Amino acid sequence: MRLVAENVSRSFGPRRVFGPLSFATEPGRVLGVAGANGSGKTTLVKVLAGLLRPSAGSVRLEDAGRPGSRIGVREAAGAIGWCAPDLSLYGELTPAENLEFFARVAGRLPTREELEERIASVGLDPRRLRSIRTRFLSTGQRQRLKLAYSVLSSPAVLLLDEPGSNLDEAGHRAVTAIVAEQRGRGSVVLATNDPAELALADERVTL
Amino acid sequence: MQVLGTAGKVVLGLGMAVVLWAAFLYAHPAESFVGESSRIVFFHVPTAWISALAFLLAAIHSGLYLKTRKMERDDAAAAAARLGILFCVLATVTGSLFAKVMWNSYWNWDPRQTSIVLLLLVYGAYLGLRQAIEEPERRATLSAAYALIAFVSVPFLMFAVPRMYASLHPDTVINARGRIEMSPDIKLVFFSSMIAFTALFAWMYALDVKATRLVRRLSERTGGFEA
Amino acid sequence: MILRAAAAVFVKDLRTEWRTRVAINALLLFAFSVLVLVGYAVGPTRLTLEDRPVVNSVLLWIVLFFSAMTGLSRSFVNEEETGTAAALRLSAPPASVFLGKLLGNLALLGVVMAVVVPLFLALMSFGIAAPGLFLAVLALGGVGIAAASTFIAAIVSKTAAKGALFAVLATPLLLPPLVAAVTGTQIAATGPESAAGLDAVRLLFAYDGLMVTASFLLFDAVWRE
Repeated sequence: MRLVAENVSRSFGPRRVFGPLSFATEPGRVLGVAGANGSGKTTLVKVLAGLLRPSAGSVRLEDAGRPGSRIGVREAAGAIGWCAPDLSLYGELTPAENLEFFARVAGRLPTREELEERIASVGLDPRRLRSIRTRFLSTGQRQRLKLAYSVLSSPAVLLLDEPGSNLDEAGHRAVTAIVAEQRGRGSVVLATNDPAELALADERVTL
Repeated sequence: MQVLGTAGKVVLGLGMAVVLWAAFLYAHPAESFVGESSRIVFFHVPTAWISALAFLLAAIHSGLYLKTRKMERDDAAAAAARLGILFCVLATVTGSLFAKVMWNSYWNWDPRQTSIVLLLLVYGAYLGLRQAIEEPERRATLSAAYALIAFVSVPFLMFAVPRMYASLHPDTVINARGRIEMSPDIKLVFFSSMIAFTALFAWMYALDVKATRLVRRLSERTGGFEA
Repeated sequence: MILRAAAAVFVKDLRTEWRTRVAINALLLFAFSVLVLVGYAVGPTRLTLEDRPVVNSVLLWIVLFFSAMTGLSRSFVNEEETGTAAALRLSAPPASVFLGKLLGNLALLGVVMAVVVPLFLALMSFGIAAPGLFLAVLALGGVGIAAASTFIAAIVSKTAAKGALFAVLATPLLLPPLVAAVTGTQIAATGPESAAGLDAVRLLFAYDGLMVTASFLLFDAVWRE
């Protein structure tokens, strides 16, 4: 599926944050979004995720095989994965319980092995974290868990906003691995100022 | 562009003056009411009707805002709620004066009085909610949702709760037997007053909507959030 | 699908509440303090026999109403304050969020009622002549309070004032069912079930149905504003 943005812009009251912008993601490719602090990267990603209404224009999902088939981004449950600084998981639940909850509300019942595999894939030790509530994790560990959450539903489009923040060397490798994994499944929008991460992008939009 | 031209203003002003004159000097007091107290019907019922109309408009425009997301709808809903409260207060005061003359107390928690106070509370809360939100789109969405859910509970205030107690309120204009029982002179003045008040409201409403829209546009241009 | 997701939201909230016990402790402590205050100030013997049904019914619903106002906004306000609302918005169908939260608030209010009502009856020597009617009024009144509170909580969680605004917005909406519940309780206290008692039950039932339906329909607009 392609994520298509047409003349999208967003304002808060009188203040225009970004846009109007038009672009589309392609399966197997990574779209980089660059721009200085305050240029609206985070807001753009939220609009793409359907978490914010665009002030003008539209964001739609399009079946790659059938151009013209259009789904509003808000109606496409599970098609979009999102990891961003304003994403928070439940502090009182353990990492596995968090992932299990989000899978359940999306209508799936993952087994314990699947959950632990997901947790291990971002470099966390599922056995050691089994009885630890998420609020006791370090900031970097939480960032990794958020990455695991973002690909939980095997999304067609993965939106990553500063995915490498607070991560160590191994964490950055986990980001690279997740981007590579997503290429095989769909497309990636990667909003970042990290040159190493931007190097993963095939195309680039600068705000 | 002017909301109402000079000719319109003259007609409206003269009309209101004639209604005022007729209410006090032309119509005869109705039987079975203390003294001249029945004359309040020419003011009480129109203000009550206008407040109901205004709250209905607020609900309709709120619904349309959620559907179309046009800020003009939000301006219209806010203006309607404000004017609804104004006319609701007028209806409360005129009703209260009547109660003093008829039953010798301004306020006796008659079901009608109770439900009108609840209405004031509901739409007062609506305006409070509007003031608590700075961002225009968010304010419009959340207050529209509140206006609609409040509108759902209004029928309970107006009809259901009063029915549970005996009310001293005189028969409503169209009474339980489904007829309008008024002498011809009272009927004439009453309906003229209804028309005059409705025209007055329509003018005030158009002015308020226009003013609200201008303030919003101005704040969009200057970059401030002040409504 | 919606129901299963709603159950997941409900279980998640229950689990979080069980681990922190913030809402239930605040609610019960508040309810208990008010009970003590009312019991001490009014007591069972201060009132004349004919005053008891009226005053006690009003006091009981005031205790329940204010307890609800202290605790029922918690679950939505929490989601916005801790920033988990965004992930929930992205992953869960809106209807399941509302249903799950409504169930959670019903459970919370149910626990408070289960503690407060027997205590109140005992402390105030408040006898109930028609227990069936009384239970129906309690249940239907509770559903009405929970439904309106859940929807208002979703609204105020998106404003800066949050808690301060909650009672202001919820009170006018809750007055009709509270008036009916007080009347119903009064009738249940004084005598056998009557037409007036049934009127109160019918009114509560209609309010609940309308409130649940309307908030269900409007929730999507508020939640994904």
